[in-house]
Amino acid sequence: MTKMIHSLQTKLTLSFLLLIVVIAGLAFFNTYDATQKALKAQMGCELRSTAAAVAALIDGDLHAGLKSGDEQKPEYLSLQSRLQKIRANNPNIKYIYTMRHSAQGVEFVVDADYGVEEDAASIGQVYEQGPNFKDLMEGFEHNSADREFTSDEWGVVLSGYSPIRDSLGNSVGLLGVDMDSREVIARQQFIQHTIYYIIGIAILLAGIIVLLFSKTIIRDINKLNQTATKISLGQMDGVVDVKRRDEIGDLAESFSRMQASLKIMMNQDENPNENEK
Amino acid sequence: MTELAQKVLETTTPYLGPASKIFLDRQTKRHMNGVIFDYLEKDHLPDLSRWVLISAGLLIDKNRAKELSEKISILQAA
Repeated sequence: MTKMIHSLQTKLTLSFLLLIVVIAGLAFFNTYDATQKALKAQMGCELRSTAAAVAALIDGDLHAGLKSGDEQKPEYLSLQSRLQKIRANNPNIKYIYTMRHSAQGVEFVVDADYGVEEDAASIGQVYEQGPNFKDLMEGFEHNSADREFTSDEWGVVLSGYSPIRDSLGNSVGLLGVDMDSREVIARQQFIQHTIYYIIGIAILLAGIIVLLFSKTIIRDINKLNQTATKISLGQMDGVVDVKRRDEIGDLAESFSRMQASLKIMMNQDENPNENEK
Repeated sequence: MTELAQKVLETTTPYLGPASKIFLDRQTKRHMNGVIFDYLEKDHLPDLSRWVLISAGLLIDKNRAKELSEKISILQAA
């Protein structure tokens, strides 16, 4: 009797399962990656549109004239109030602010949270470069959005940028909109879990099918084996009871032919003069 | 060997293997009044077909024996 670990059934089942796991894994990574990109692209598109719409409402000349210490001036408060109203009407916006080039790099100008939140930026506060700085810099020229989520002490956000232009059409700054990415991440996780479940169920079903399939093959091979063992021990009774249309069926047919011939010849040997009777 | 006997032998070999000739000799001699298989004629076919069904059914699966018997019964000499 073949040990379970060496049996053809175990080998067949494990091989198919391994194949299914590899295919399912590749399908998972491909689907997950594509979904993640699609979700980010959708959110990025939304961010660019929002940033462009808000940037168009900002007076670039007024914005360019603001300098450090102007936070209480009516020009600043007017711009800040506008940003706050826009955010109030759009609950997806977490942070909204404007920026411009400075000698140190990029600095904040108007932050909707200034005077409200302790850590809000004042005019002239230098922006610390993050991993998406390149996307931000593109925002001075045209509408852009971060390619990757930014994770910091304020949460996980994706940002969109649009240039602020003065009356001559020159870019004098940018408007930044940060959207809370929790919903997108939750959607990603939902898709991830759904794919996990589908793959899990597929592997389970495939495993059962492979197990049943290999079981029928092994059952018929065992029948042939039992008959061969009997013949090898001189027991010629019994017929091969395997009815298949595949290669195992062909083997059973050949085996049955061989057994029949053996029976006839053995009978002939036992009764050598029978044909003369 | 007659052409018909040759056809019967060719039909039987896939079912009973190389000992088919011995088997067919035995069927005709023992059950068909000593007819010699090599001189088999068309009139012998119904009887031979019946005995093949019975005897081959003891050697191989009964359905395959029936299949063989039916094939023999419809054989024609050229």
